[in-house]
Amino acid sequence: MPSQLEIRNLHVRTEEREILRGVDLVVRHGELHALMGPNGSGKSTLANTVMGHPDYEVTDGEILFDGENITELAAHERAKLGLFLAFQYPVAIPGVSVANFLRLAINAQREEPIKVKEFGAQLRHAVELLDVEDAFTSRHLNDGFSGGEKKRAEVLQMAMLRPQIAVLDETDSGLDIDALRTVAEGVQKLHDDQHLGVLIITHYQRILDYVRPEFVHIMLDGRIVMNGGNELVERLEKEGYDRIREEVAARA
Amino acid sequence: MPEAAAPKPGAAREATLNATLGGRGAGGAPLGVLRERARIAYDAQELPRWRRSGFWQTSFEDLDLDSLEPRSHAPDPTLPAILTGQRSAGVLVQRDASVVHVELDPELAARGVILCSLEAAANEHGELFERYYMRRLLLDRHKLEAASAAFWSGGAFLYVPPGLQIAEPFQIVYEISAAGSAQYAHTLAIGDRGCELRLREYDLASGEIAGDALHAGQFELYLEDGARCRLAQLTDWGEGAVSDASTAVVEVGRDAYCHWLPALLGGRLIRHHDELVVAGPGGDMAFRGLFFSQGQEHLDVFAVDLHETGPSGGDVHWRGAATGSSQASFEGLIQINPGAQQTHTYLQFHSMMLSDTAKLDAIPSVLVSADDVSASHGGTVGALDESLIFYMQTRGLTRPQAVRVIVDGFFEPLIIQLDDPPLEQQIRERIGAKLTAAAEDIERYALAR
Repeated sequence: MPSQLEIRNLHVRTEEREILRGVDLVVRHGELHALMGPNGSGKSTLANTVMGHPDYEVTDGEILFDGENITELAAHERAKLGLFLAFQYPVAIPGVSVANFLRLAINAQREEPIKVKEFGAQLRHAVELLDVEDAFTSRHLNDGFSGGEKKRAEVLQMAMLRPQIAVLDETDSGLDIDALRTVAEGVQKLHDDQHLGVLIITHYQRILDYVRPEFVHIMLDGRIVMNGGNELVERLEKEGYDRIREEVAARA
Repeated sequence: MPEAAAPKPGAAREATLNATLGGRGAGGAPLGVLRERARIAYDAQELPRWRRSGFWQTSFEDLDLDSLEPRSHAPDPTLPAILTGQRSAGVLVQRDASVVHVELDPELAARGVILCSLEAAANEHGELFERYYMRRLLLDRHKLEAASAAFWSGGAFLYVPPGLQIAEPFQIVYEISAAGSAQYAHTLAIGDRGCELRLREYDLASGEIAGDALHAGQFELYLEDGARCRLAQLTDWGEGAVSDASTAVVEVGRDAYCHWLPALLGGRLIRHHDELVVAGPGGDMAFRGLFFSQGQEHLDVFAVDLHETGPSGGDVHWRGAATGSSQASFEGLIQINPGAQQTHTYLQFHSMMLSDTAKLDAIPSVLVSADDVSASHGGTVGALDESLIFYMQTRGLTRPQAVRVIVDGFFEPLIIQLDDPPLEQQIRERIGAKLTAAAEDIERYALAR
């Protein structure tokens, strides 16, 4: 059975308030999903909760990976199962180069440390995919990186760590068109070549000019209110979130 | 620690009692006379206590000096573990009170390099010895300084003649082997005009010292015109009960350069006064330092960047981390003397707290008595950043692994500048071992927040 991430009736709150109010979603290995919604609809909360961020409390529902309930697992355990989160705001890790960090992360998931040659080959491959210079991997991770470099570094890590399913939290935000294209094409390629399961979380449709989601979901006020295919993206582009909100309200 | 505004001449330093050596030296007399003066000072004084305020003091008053004594050893050519597999220009090992081994590349000896015990230097190289010995060190500021000056035995003497460039490091090891040991250490090193050398000093315990022991050390390095030196000192007395009160001074002459890095990585009670003096025009230096205190350790560092003449350059950058219930204090002082015009120097100190019961103070100060200079200080106070830890956990690292990455990364900017892979590796390994030892503390701290 291919890997799958299953979210069932997920309710999540922070110290202040309830943010997710019953989310259901299934992402399988090899599928490409887009989750769209306006600011404050709960998209980033979903991404962080799926990955086990300690600030978010699951009050009801569960998260399953390959049928196993992972709702209580620590983030590093989820990573080892094959989940990955590309951050909206990746943090800088001073003093640690991109390459050294990647080696640590890869070795954290293995019994035997990766061989130097094997690591070098994988790194070269990923560097080409993301169209960065070789010197990029000697720089301290995200330290002084531009917005585009940070997002490239996220996808570079994704390419190296080879997760089963990746959640991309607003990876398109703050990117110029060249960076956006590189990052999006990198994601599409990982999906095509490695059958990576992807959940792209975005506010805007512009990243969807470069990747082609098979499933599109729209989130409003902590719930997924609409599921469909690429036609939803076009509709959203024409009508905006307000029309959808009205339609959902009328349906209720 | 806020970014300093433009320093005013004679900026107030009432918070501290520390003063620079300031170019004073006790030397210039025969060794016997100096030892006798020191012995008189020793008899006249009580054990020292440095008190900065009601909230901080460093006290050696509980040390039972009568229970400690110098211990002698026969020669022993076995190298300490820390030196195995390393290439060296020369090695000197002092165990407790005795120099037990000296070796020097014969080619270097033939070209005039001297490496021997300080006792031997006093007898065999009297002229050099008297010219430099205690030129910038004092012998009566406190009882343990006096003890070191009065009672030192063994000791290390290094002389590198003019123009000689030596790539491999000289390595000096002071080892305390057992409880009850009083080690009075003295290193005198001279880099003559235009020479280039690397010098490492290790202050180490061989195994855990179960019971009191004392290291009272004096260190002096003189770099004559145009000489260049990379100096590193690694102090790790382990988790035993070693107390350490030491003073080190480095003099940088005209157009000379020194990169100096003390790494203080363990000791129950440590008081270090490290003073780097730019004494000749065109002199330049990089003064780096790092420490990591854990458990019940108490660490008190006074680091001085003194400019006696200009133009001169300085760059002081220290980093310290504290865990457990340890206490650490770093006082950094830039002092620019009258007439040291066109001096440019900067002091920065960065700290990282790894427990809520540890204490870490930073007191930067700037004393400027010249008007055409730039001198300022800055720094940061940090704790473990949970957002970094979560980020790394999502990449599969466990929490302790993530903490290790953060702490390594914190010290790495200094370690990498050593430009000395074996030493870099040793320091990284020791930091790693300290983190492992402190893992529970760090976890508790995280949960408490």
